[in-house]
Amino acid sequence: MNRKFGLAVVVVVLGAGAMSAARAYDSDWKRGRIYYRQICTTCHTAELKKPIAPNDRTMAEWASYLQANKHNKGKDTVSSYFSKQYRDSIKAKNPAAAKYADVPEKDLIEDVKAFVHKSAKDGDAPAGCS
Amino acid sequence: MRTGRFMVALMVALMVALMVSMPLIPAAHSAPDEDSAKLLKSTSDHTKFKVLQQEFNSGPEVTKACLSCHTEASKQLHKTEHWKWEYKSPDGQLLGKKNVINNFCTSIRTNEAACNVCHIGYGWKDDTFDFTSEVNVDCLVCHDTTGNYRKQAGMAGNVVTKAMEFPPGSGTMIKPINLKKIAQAVGKTSRDTCGACHFYGGGGDGVKHGDMDSSLASPEKELDVHMDALGLNFGCATCHMTEGHQVPGSRYAPTAQDKGDAHIRGKEYTTNPTTCQSCHGQAPHKKIAKLNDHTDKVACQTCHIPKFARGGVATKMSWDWSTGGRMGPDGKPLIIKDAKGHIIYTAAKGDFVLGENVVPDYQWFNGKVGYTLLSDKVEKSEQPTRINHFDGSADDGKSLIWPVKIMRGKQAFDPVNKRLAVVHTAGNDDTGYWTNFNWEKAVAVGMASIGAPFSGKVDFVSTESTWPITHMVAPAKDSVRCHECHAAQGRLEKVPGIYIPGRASDHAGWLDTAGWALAVLTLLGTLVHGLGRVIVSMRKK
Repeated sequence: MNRKFGLAVVVVVLGAGAMSAARAYDSDWKRGRIYYRQICTTCHTAELKKPIAPNDRTMAEWASYLQANKHNKGKDTVSSYFSKQYRDSIKAKNPAAAKYADVPEKDLIEDVKAFVHKSAKDGDAPAGCS
Repeated sequence: MRTGRFMVALMVALMVALMVSMPLIPAAHSAPDEDSAKLLKSTSDHTKFKVLQQEFNSGPEVTKACLSCHTEASKQLHKTEHWKWEYKSPDGQLLGKKNVINNFCTSIRTNEAACNVCHIGYGWKDDTFDFTSEVNVDCLVCHDTTGNYRKQAGMAGNVVTKAMEFPPGSGTMIKPINLKKIAQAVGKTSRDTCGACHFYGGGGDGVKHGDMDSSLASPEKELDVHMDALGLNFGCATCHMTEGHQVPGSRYAPTAQDKGDAHIRGKEYTTNPTTCQSCHGQAPHKKIAKLNDHTDKVACQTCHIPKFARGGVATKMSWDWSTGGRMGPDGKPLIIKDAKGHIIYTAAKGDFVLGENVVPDYQWFNGKVGYTLLSDKVEKSEQPTRINHFDGSADDGKSLIWPVKIMRGKQAFDPVNKRLAVVHTAGNDDTGYWTNFNWEKAVAVGMASIGAPFSGKVDFVSTESTWPITHMVAPAKDSVRCHECHAAQGRLEKVPGIYIPGRASDHAGWLDTAGWALAVLTLLGTLVHGLGRVIVSMRKK
């Protein structure tokens, strides 16, 4: 009986855990928009004087860029600019980094991915910088 | 016995499982985690409704599905200005987009297929539109949360559900939208949904209002302290508190001065909930109480919106239609851009002057707005015709000094019948001005549409229109400083009927002389007295 009890608990808990893990993250394009504009664009404007608008690229180009995970011609990674470490390093001066300091990195990447996907040149709602 | 134990085991396991898989709903007063926040947004998951699990081929099909649950929604909408585009002012003027003329794109008449992309309905292309139709109400334009819902100008507010070339023969393909996905994701209105039209009034981003443009979709605190996307994150409806789809705060029914207290829960109010006072009350300045002495004469916006068009989007400050129609060296309609890439001339529309970070004009406003309507006679003169004007004065007890945008223009009128002209601009036909650049043809069609006489002659008259500035509220640290008004040639220099210390027009030379003389005499007296003390002291030694 004890074995049956243990088995039942393990099976159900594992099943529920799997269900929980399988709950796909529902990306938040609005949060992605804030991150893109207030972190990516702010830095690009300050450093390069020329921000990159979402509608400068196609959906495929954005997907490929994010998949390749190469930033600044491969000198560093795109994901590093979503890392908690990076957000912590700029949060004193950047309110978006402060607000999202504890959001999981992968969620923020998904949010920005959703935003640039819909806002791309051939996306459902092409968007410029503002 | 065994069965009983097994059941207990199963129950325990299920409870553990529930704890693992379900997000915990926090108490209403604590900050919810991400999963809970999502759950708390709505009691309905629209993806689960069978009626929304079908493919939709048109907007009205979606509305029909919405109405199967929200049975009274269209009836509510039918009573709104958003639907009717008509408003009768307390003075009896018939206003609303359906009736007024402005000095931007002038009038919707004969241009409905283009302009009415911003009507909350489907299919208003001419006078035959059925304003009693429930399925013609467009639910998605206000309740979309995906940001992907859009209407194509020129299609009378209808949506594209299959890829199509538009305008026909242009080679431009219009991408369809997925109505099923959008319908399954409906939610509350947002800055994005309201902004889809209100940010683009006058024919483009930021063109008309100056204090509303796409930069407010996701603004930083410096641009708008209330809408700050990382802070208070107000939606439009946070202030424009809507009941039964009636949105308060229309500029056709403005509140210039709110003498009421801050609205509190449990009390019923009939006053406009969009005013600053409805939240902040009558004495909002706690640290510098002296500022509260200004609130009986100065609108909050006057100090708290130091400039408009601050979000990086330029607004049109003037528009001269009379220069339209120029062709470039290639024989095609001319387009000229400024150094920033902003369009400042098009053959279709004439010359524009754009403005960013604009200091408003200021004037007394008591809430009454008078309009020059299409039926009114106008005279060409040195003084521009006022398309609309704000009433108010220093001593009527109802007015405050308000910040405004003055839009200046030059637009077509009939010099014989002395009426502002309705111009048929949009439309791929022989009479549309944007197609053939012929004023006489375009005005003839426009005037015929309202049953007005047309002499066959077209001239241009200078016009002005006035727009209240009430969005883009800056943080307190960026509000207008004392010396910006209490100074010669300050912001309020031209506001009549009030004494403002420091202003050049309130300057009295004799008072200054007397004041300085008194100050010098006081100084002299002090010095003489001090000298006397020193001398007496030295003698005693």
